[in-house]
Amino acid sequence: MTPEERQAFEEELYTFVGRPLHPEPKRSYDAVNEAMIRHWAEVMGDKNPAYTNAEWAASSRRGELIAPPAMMYAWNQEGYAVAAEGRPSDGLSDLVAYFDQHGFTGSLGTNVDQEFFAEAKIGDALFEDAIIEEISEQKVTARGRGYFLQTLAKFTNQSGELIGTQRFRVFKFIPPEAPPKAAASGASEELEVPTRIHAPRGQDNGWWWDACDEGKVLIQRCKNCQTLRHPPRPMCGECQSTDWDSVQSTLDGEIFSFVEMHYPKFPGYKYPLIVAVISLAEGTRIISNVVGIDSQDVKIGMKVKGKVEQVDEKTMLPQFYPVEA
Amino acid sequence: MDYQTLKYADVSVGDKLAALDIDISSSLISCGALATRDFEPCHHVPKVAQDMGLPDVFMNILTSQALMARFVTDWSGPEAVMKALKVKLGAPNVPGMVMTVTGEVSEKDDDNRVVTVNVTGENNIWGMHMEGSVSVQLL
Amino acid sequence: MSICDKTAIVGIANTEFSKNSGRSELQLAAEATRDALADAGLKPSDVDGMTTFTMDNTDEIELARAVGIGDLRFYSRVPHGGGAATGLIHQAVMAVASGMAECIVCYRSLNGRSGHRYSSGVSGPLLTADAIHWGWYTPYGLMTPASWVAMYSQRYMHLTEQCQEAMFEIAHVQREYAAKNPAALFYEQPFTLDDYENAKRIVSPLKLLDCCLESDGGSAVIITTAERAKDLKHKPVAIKGVGQAAAANMESMTSFYRPEIAAIPSMDIAAREAYQQSGLTPDDIDAAVIYDAFTPIVLWQLESWGFCESYKAPQFVLDGALRSDGRLPTNTHGGQLSEAYIHGVNGIVEAAKLVRGSSVNQPAKHIENVLVTSGVGVPTGGALLGSL
Ligand SMILES: [Zn+2]
Repeated sequence: MTPEERQAFEEELYTFVGRPLHPEPKRSYDAVNEAMIRHWAEVMGDKNPAYTNAEWAASSRRGELIAPPAMMYAWNQEGYAVAAEGRPSDGLSDLVAYFDQHGFTGSLGTNVDQEFFAEAKIGDALFEDAIIEEISEQKVTARGRGYFLQTLAKFTNQSGELIGTQRFRVFKFIPPEAPPKAAASGASEELEVPTRIHAPRGQDNGWWWDACDEGKVLIQRCKNCQTLRHPPRPMCGECQSTDWDSVQSTLDGEIFSFVEMHYPKFPGYKYPLIVAVISLAEGTRIISNVVGIDSQDVKIGMKVKGKVEQVDEKTMLPQFYPVEA
Repeated sequence: MDYQTLKYADVSVGDKLAALDIDISSSLISCGALATRDFEPCHHVPKVAQDMGLPDVFMNILTSQALMARFVTDWSGPEAVMKALKVKLGAPNVPGMVMTVTGEVSEKDDDNRVVTVNVTGENNIWGMHMEGSVSVQLL
Repeated sequence: MSICDKTAIVGIANTEFSKNSGRSELQLAAEATRDALADAGLKPSDVDGMTTFTMDNTDEIELARAVGIGDLRFYSRVPHGGGAATGLIHQAVMAVASGMAECIVCYRSLNGRSGHRYSSGVSGPLLTADAIHWGWYTPYGLMTPASWVAMYSQRYMHLTEQCQEAMFEIAHVQREYAAKNPAALFYEQPFTLDDYENAKRIVSPLKLLDCCLESDGGSAVIITTAERAKDLKHKPVAIKGVGQAAAANMESMTSFYRPEIAAIPSMDIAAREAYQQSGLTPDDIDAAVIYDAFTPIVLWQLESWGFCESYKAPQFVLDGALRSDGRLPTNTHGGQLSEAYIHGVNGIVEAAKLVRGSSVNQPAKHIENVLVTSGVGVPTGGALLGSL
């Protein structure tokens, strides 16, 4: 975009500020009702009796059920038509189309701020009156170059009482290159699910990890003096022989020491994450994870049994479980 | 069942809420979207989400808001009146993740008996999914 | 004083030369070392020092473990590529002539044709023994300094009493020192037991206030002859003894394969060396600057330097030993937990101040000799400083 083009673009862009999303306040499709609240409360795991327990509500300070405040925006959402036919046009979709035409196809919801002034009751109808409140100046962020736009929606009930407001902030930007389709919310730059960090495989250790990939934990053994050693290394420290083979561990072990990782957390790892030094029955030690147990129950001296498992899409590792006493 | 609601005087700035781990499943994402009347296909059709560059369907904003609100009202009790819910969005929640929600009382408004709890929801793969605050009026 | 005729080369070896050795650089170094020792008629256990290039990909301790070499008390690397070659001799001669070590392997191995070719310039990844070493831990998520130290700490807690209380005492005493040290990042910022207990968990059993700072800064000290020191501005701070060591069966931060891991054998050796050189004993040491990346490592070093018996450091600390009026005022600048983390060199500065009598928290008693130590978990060391 040349400076002239940008100026022309912005001139029209800022005329969107103040425009309403709907020609007149949009009425909720249904009145606030117990069925939709119950559905919501079940999914969210919200057992608040103020939403679903009529008997409790009758004796509460409110004297009746209320709708969950966090549902405020839900009542006025477009229904199944969005999936079947796409989003209907409104004041916001005109602005989004204008952005898209000029290359600002990226879309990222960044903030939703709600304030509540009264509680919605069963039977209330909610009216949404929304405008495009603000469009920022052009910004450059980690996502790319673009503009923050903010809508302000006011929700009132059938008596004109203000229930609450919602400010929704979206970043519209030019995606770096090969733009994926616009994301409705929180799209990440990370396109691949991260996996655990792998050991680099070289001449001294690659064979061990190759066996691990096949489900086996091997222990290196000196061919000359039969001494076992782990981690693998190219020469026997006892007799200086470079000839070696290996034995397969039974993965019977005992916890020698352990830690629980809290901070920082690394992508690709599942927390809680316990890492232990395990003394194997063969006499060598191995560092591995202890799983299938709460961290407060892990003790030094505890017997464990390992098996090689696929811990993520790309990683096979031994994992140790407590042995029932 | 006996429901308790916190008294304003019993809460102090710095009080921590018990952390909550939420398993992010396909069901939670899809059913959460429908329960909030969000029928955008990216929340229930994996292929649509994948075309957007994500591994699977991802959580809609209203579900994140609901989980943050619930986290605080579980703590405050049912007579608390919610005054504000402010959410900053981070990385998406997709199936298979675990989101750990934590919170700490950050502000007290004596005139209105309103406490504000700062809340963070971090998933175990991509980190911060949501952070913000919930303000509730206590007894 | 000249090094002429003080030292000699007694064993030599090369591996075969090829375009593709078919084995690791570590193995090539191990074979050359083994064969040079055999040429000399020496055993791996006779070796107590190593020198090589900073560019070499094989860690001294990885080589020592491969060949079956035991405790090392000297190691040194020389920078600048091929310019280092006779630098290996330079380092070894100084060490042997001064008695710092007796038998040194100077080594270098390269897969310079089949591996990273110098003709490719400074491009491409390197597969080093060090990278392979970390690969035994990273897949399981054990990949921060706190996590490695926590592993030893858990074991130490298992074998001792009141370790947790002693960890708080260390962190707390040092913060009290820092609160009175205007140069400290935590100047005028004391903390309480509540703060300590409620701090963020980093890697259990370590919490935030058990961990050192991460800070920007620089530290330096100047060393010259005792004769010249007498003519300069300040009271000279003599180096009475200095030890450096890598005990047998060592890994960098992850020596989890020794019979017991709740101790620092490398520091035991460094202490023995420094005491021997100086003729001092633990009773002669009046104050200390003990490397404190994490609180528990202070406990183990107190044992290594003989201030208390093995596994008794928690009681020693809880008796108030580290305080200004205690047996061994320690980390009087606030340490790396509370002054700043400059990799222990700000500690050397503080130790020198204690001998000069100019610490911001100078104890009331007379300070004749001060201990200062290096980081542990890795090959480590310590020095005894005192009045000239
Ligand atoms: Zn052998």
